[in-house]
Amino acid sequence: MFELIPGRTSEVVLLIIVLIAIYQATRLASKRKLKTRGIPGLERINEWIREAAKLNRPVFFTPGTGSTGAPDTLAALALLEYVAKHCVEYNASLIVANSDPQVQQVTEDIVKSAYVKAGREKEFATDMVRYISTRQFAYAAGVMGILRREKPAVNFFVGDFQAEALQIAETGRTEAIYQIGGTTNPDQLPFFATTCDQTLIGEELYTATGFLSSDPEAISELVGSDAGKMLAILLILAGAILVTFGNSILISILGL
Amino acid sequence: MSADKKKMTRGELGLQIIIFGLGFFYAIVYYVAVPGIVDLQAVSDQLLAYITVVLTAAFAIGIINLTRVHTINIKRKRATWRYSVVLLISLYVMAIFSMIASPFELDPNSVVIPASVIQFSTPIWGFLYYKILVNINASIFSLLGFFIASAAYRAFKARSLESTILLVAGLLVILGQAPIANLLWPGFGIIRDWILAFPNTAGQRGILIGAALGIVVFSVRRLFRYPW
Repeated sequence: MFELIPGRTSEVVLLIIVLIAIYQATRLASKRKLKTRGIPGLERINEWIREAAKLNRPVFFTPGTGSTGAPDTLAALALLEYVAKHCVEYNASLIVANSDPQVQQVTEDIVKSAYVKAGREKEFATDMVRYISTRQFAYAAGVMGILRREKPAVNFFVGDFQAEALQIAETGRTEAIYQIGGTTNPDQLPFFATTCDQTLIGEELYTATGFLSSDPEAISELVGSDAGKMLAILLILAGAILVTFGNSILISILGL
Repeated sequence: MSADKKKMTRGELGLQIIIFGLGFFYAIVYYVAVPGIVDLQAVSDQLLAYITVVLTAAFAIGIINLTRVHTINIKRKRATWRYSVVLLISLYVMAIFSMIASPFELDPNSVVIPASVIQFSTPIWGFLYYKILVNINASIFSLLGFFIASAAYRAFKARSLESTILLVAGLLVILGQAPIANLLWPGFGIIRDWILAFPNTAGQRGILIGAALGIVVFSVRRLFRYPW
């Protein structure tokens, strides 16, 4: 009745193996209270938000040009939840700029919820979460305008970014704004690394919220993710060694 | 991302079921087919078509947000209120002409809108789109060249071992790319190709594998637990 789609069998098997490895590592980490590696810069997020409140300057956040279907955007939204909560806690004003109208609705809900949870719903203002444009460079111009005119103290630009990333980052740099950038797009990462004070590289974007959370389970998931990475490294090494000696069995298995 | 574990409310449970059900369905559709019984791919495509409807509604709400934010700017006479006036006029004028005379016009057969109005609007829309919008877009894009130059200047400073390696690798790639350098010594081209094909590709793949695993963990967490 059910049939595996040809060419995807190895993907299913690999996914199951990775999921089991992640689950086992997570369980082990939860039991033994394992610690994970730190992500530089993330420890200072609170400090930066507090500093912005002291300076009476806003905190700026943008999740990029991706839609709600982009994993990077989803990870950025999880980080926004953390940033919004702490902005409310430290009385720092928050500005969120969006390119995608669906993301706009979600970010508005996240920021509003942070105020509602703190019992300060009345302090939430419509212009905290702004829709700019779906057009890439109209969005870039809008964000650059906000950075120049409203001079935020911190700029979080994490999510799905394309060519506009450097324009935003360089504008922030010119305005001497603390910047945290993050994306999995390898084409844009060099620009983030050269212009941001801290950069979340690749999977750090997904693990950032787990790392920031005090939930031991979330932290142990990072250990699980690392276990998956070890598995991938072992597979790559095995593949490289086998191919070097003229054995293509791994290629045949993965090609199934 | 809640730190403390709470009992799920009924609404949260409902949302969890929807999230898990749809997520699991899309994962299944990617790997499994049920020939002769149901075309899972067609069901998935139909569900995706509904997203277009949601997107259109979200777009309208986005425009409302834009209008509200800039109307507040104008009402409160904030420092930049003049820009808000320009933005609102541009937004609505362009929207009106796009609806009357553009490839996406609402009434191409002049059933409701008189043909004379469409004829009058067509060159205006063409002017607004091709002479203004396209050029502004290109201007903003071209700013990127200057931004790349300033970012490169900052990056190519030998402050540490890593930045020195970056500087050397960057210079070799630039030399390999420049025709004059290849005329002086053809080896620059070979070095550039090697840097791009091996260290660069290896680094990029490392990032992509890490990101893919991050997505797996992140997605599983979201599929099985709400609130996050």
